[in-house]
Amino acid sequence: MDVMKREIAVRGRTVALIEAGRGTPLVYLHGFADVHGVAGDLAPFHHGLAQRNRLIAPAHPGCNGSSEFLQGNRIEDFLFHYCEVFDALGLERFALAGHCTGGWIAAEYAVRHPERVARLALIGAAGLFVLGEHIGDIFLHSQPDHGTSLASLRRMLFASEDAPQAMRYYPDGRGTLEEEMRRYGMLRFGSAIGFKPPYFYNRSLVDRLYRANMPSLVVWGADDRMVPVAHGKAYAERLGNGSTLRVIAGAGHAVHLEQPDAVLAQMKPFLDA
Amino acid sequence: MSKPVQLFCWHFMAYPYLPADFDEHYDTGWITVPNTLWDREKSRGLLNEYIDQLAYADTLGFDGMVLNEHHQNIYGLMPSPNIIASALTQKTKNGKIVVLANLLPLHGNPLRVAEEYAMLDNMSDGRVIAGLAPGGGQETFNYNTPAAIQREQFWEAVDLIHQAWTRDGPFVFEGKHYPLRYVNPWPLPVQRPYPPVWIPGSQSRETMRQVARRGYCYFLSSRLHGGAIAKAREEFAKVLEDAGSKYDPFRMGILMSVYVSETDEQARVESHEGIWYFLKNCLKGHLRNFHGRSLTFGPGIPNMELADYRRVLENTKPGRAMLGDVDDWDALQKAQSILVGSPETVYRQISDLVRETQVGNLLIQFHLGNMRDDLARKSMRLFATQIAPRLRDDSRIAFAGHFPELAGTI
Repeated sequence: MDVMKREIAVRGRTVALIEAGRGTPLVYLHGFADVHGVAGDLAPFHHGLAQRNRLIAPAHPGCNGSSEFLQGNRIEDFLFHYCEVFDALGLERFALAGHCTGGWIAAEYAVRHPERVARLALIGAAGLFVLGEHIGDIFLHSQPDHGTSLASLRRMLFASEDAPQAMRYYPDGRGTLEEEMRRYGMLRFGSAIGFKPPYFYNRSLVDRLYRANMPSLVVWGADDRMVPVAHGKAYAERLGNGSTLRVIAGAGHAVHLEQPDAVLAQMKPFLDA
Repeated sequence: MSKPVQLFCWHFMAYPYLPADFDEHYDTGWITVPNTLWDREKSRGLLNEYIDQLAYADTLGFDGMVLNEHHQNIYGLMPSPNIIASALTQKTKNGKIVVLANLLPLHGNPLRVAEEYAMLDNMSDGRVIAGLAPGGGQETFNYNTPAAIQREQFWEAVDLIHQAWTRDGPFVFEGKHYPLRYVNPWPLPVQRPYPPVWIPGSQSRETMRQVARRGYCYFLSSRLHGGAIAKAREEFAKVLEDAGSKYDPFRMGILMSVYVSETDEQARVESHEGIWYFLKNCLKGHLRNFHGRSLTFGPGIPNMELADYRRVLENTKPGRAMLGDVDDWDALQKAQSILVGSPETVYRQISDLVRETQVGNLLIQFHLGNMRDDLARKSMRLFATQIAPRLRDDSRIAFAGHFPELAGTI
């Protein structure tokens, strides 16, 4: 499969993109444990998405080669950023999928421009406030324990701290300069919309979800300790067209990295329908 | 003769009643250290004991008393240093009252900081030194402040405070973060044109540039050895020159800790418990890397731009030892941040440091960890009577030699 990396410019900022596959366009917005957030390239999950779609995965501002958006400090700022990105790509109507913060942005976009989003898929998406079900403090857990250990960060993002994908993407100690900069860029982007309250949520979003009346799919890792499954339940209940929550056993927040086949088994029929 | 080196007594106001096995059972002294450890009975009178130590420093002839702001930790029990400063205005007569600092992004509206400093300046008859800082590390978690725009917001707050003290009110402040229709504080500070402003930094060029441009004093908050301080001073001197100004020793301050007793041996014996309590408990979660989780700096506190962070990665090794990681007296001595010994030993070390660094404001922590009141007072007294006069005499001559424009300042 052809994978293409390129850059486009919106409002003077560079946006790094990875594209793969052919077919109807599918925009994928990434999270922390994800392409651009920690990995420089697509993972097997993303390749799976590209088998029957034209997959377009932009990197959030500051991530994996995209310029920082220094004035952006509310979710609204980044929604306008993505309005520009989608326009620049000439995308009139497209499927939209997102993980974690990327899922949040996807949901916010879908309630504003439902006519442009053909299908919406959310995987471990942040964005909602659910009483008593806190979104995890990824910033505190990104500080190494005992100088070099990232065990608690792995525990937050994966089914277990020694899961193979966890060890691959977040090993102890310092990675290469480029790996460290990717992680830092994602934390910096995340801090603009999730460090200070509201912590990766928008209290108004839940009452707007009815506007997202396109077909939708919600997928969650059963052991998600970053965005608890209760958030998936809330999305599934409140999205406009009704939706079903698919919970994947034996996976954490990065369910698509840990169990790509199980997630693709949900995603492919949904995207093909 | 120049104005001599200025010697300040700094009190951190640590919580001294942790269980002896704290380090074994708790992974941090900051933010998440359970406050069920606070002993309400033992702690009665504790803050007053600390305030009285600072008042004692004033009677000993220190040039000032220093306070700082920290939240939700055992390292410093001063979430609001202005409240302690207020007590000092009533309990002291001569020394400067240095609040280092009010953490501006934590205050909501910086106008309140301008007002409180003005009150303190009136209550102390012009003895306030106003520290302004953005807050770092732990405070970003405590008060949710590390947004990408934090620095821009901080300097706008600094400018608002500066203008509140110096521009005729009422005026409109057209800030991006703190727009105000009416800026018109009553009372105004006693000192003209405004109280001295000190800004802490940890070697960031950008902070130095901003300080230089505004004519403030730069306080180097990192605990460094003499050579590294001298390097930071050289950088600041260069930044000052670029801003059309010139370095002199009173444009900069540094932090150190000291324990003085009759002999070197006695100093170690008496300070042992307090110093190791400070290093292993108070610095856990802060300047301690190999045990617990340091929240002072790192990827989870992403308030640096990408290029700056890349430079930090290029210039540092992961998992480096910090002050709280030292395990014996020799390593502690090498770190040159906590000086322990007889008056002669400590005099020589500080004298060398002043000669090497040419910094004129020494902010010295005497009370460490759970140190007993009588020991802290003895150390302060020996310092004030047997070390301070010699440092002052030396520096009067040395500063005048290096900085001719200071000759005749006293």
